[in-house]
Amino acid sequence: MKGHGLLYTIIFTFLVCFVFVFILSLTNNVTAAQVALNQRLSQQRAILSAMGIEFSSDNEVQRLFREIRQEQVGQETLYLATQDGTQIVAALFSGPGLWGTIRGVLALNGDGSRIVGLELISHNETPGLGGRIDESWYKGQLRGELVAPDGTIEMVSRRGVGDSDSENGGMDGITGATRTSESMVVILNNEIARVRNLIIIIGEIS
Amino acid sequence: MSDVAVATKPSTIAKANIWTTNPVFMQVLGICSALAVTNLVLNTLIMSFGVIFVTAFSCLTVSLLKSFIPRKVRMIVQVLIISFYTIIVDLVLKAYLPTVSRNLGPYVGLIITNCIIMGRAEAFAQGNPPLISFFDGLTSGAGYMGVLMVVAIVRELLGFGTLLGFQIMPANFVPWIIMVMPPSAFFLIGIIIWIGKDALRRQGALTE
Repeated sequence: MKGHGLLYTIIFTFLVCFVFVFILSLTNNVTAAQVALNQRLSQQRAILSAMGIEFSSDNEVQRLFREIRQEQVGQETLYLATQDGTQIVAALFSGPGLWGTIRGVLALNGDGSRIVGLELISHNETPGLGGRIDESWYKGQLRGELVAPDGTIEMVSRRGVGDSDSENGGMDGITGATRTSESMVVILNNEIARVRNLIIIIGEIS
Repeated sequence: MSDVAVATKPSTIAKANIWTTNPVFMQVLGICSALAVTNLVLNTLIMSFGVIFVTAFSCLTVSLLKSFIPRKVRMIVQVLIISFYTIIVDLVLKAYLPTVSRNLGPYVGLIITNCIIMGRAEAFAQGNPPLISFFDGLTSGAGYMGVLMVVAIVRELLGFGTLLGFQIMPANFVPWIIMVMPPSAFFLIGIIIWIGKDALRRQGALTE
């Protein structure tokens, strides 16, 4: 192992880096399409389930997603659908959680007075604590929730009983994950205001 | 890690890596990921397979290239090789197991910094033939996996009441929140080190 000169060291290091990075780029190229498809599918899946549209397979996701109308408002995209005679408006959101950005989809009804559903795309919250925002009971509690007259949702804290009333604009937090729960409420309230605004704008255009 | 171990019998290597000099509870290496990924058995399984794959192939590659690697850049090249296999694992998970990849988050990428791999490459693969180095990497990874699986089984069972997502504990079982959080892995690994070292001392295999 001794006796390698400076030039040999430089050339060897360069070659080794070149070969390995080259193979990595190839692998990246081969998997890129699949990775992009996975990301697109997970976003479409999130939008559909926030809107309360049921699906069972990836093919169905793509088929159902084609039926959803997309409306561009400046940089934002609104996803519009009609389910059981009511208008549904959904938009992607992202906001700060406790450890990182929480991304997801919030769907409201046509006039923004009720939440249709919430779905998350990605988050970095503590598994088992804040990470429980991705559990179905947490997301599901907002299905059909009436937004309070001041346009917000509030976290309800009561000992031992959950908030099962969907007419009071209240939601449960997660025990042991107060900061994540509070962040979610802030994110949701900002998003409700933003989507309501967008609904007014597209209402004026059309 | 200055002394280069020269062992030739596979059974001796396997026994050392899995038991007498187990990377986690005897050498206390790879603790970072042992704390982070052990709250669900499924994540631990995938993570362990990732570590086994990266350790084995890194050792094989380091051993194959060892006579060409200049001493001065030895460690840089080892890190390059380890990163190479780690990124491959990361890409494959992202493409074919997107949900698992999402759950493991940054920890797959952090396999690069796992001291076990660097340790085996430097202490073993650098001075031994390729095949036995590959086997050494494989069993070192298995030693890591063994400890992590024990920790993960206890943590998932007590923290969620489930194993691999299936409900095991009775419905009225109250999950232990501490088991979900990283500190519990500290306690469990501490206990494993205690039991392991005690068992080894009884066997007379421990010299201090």
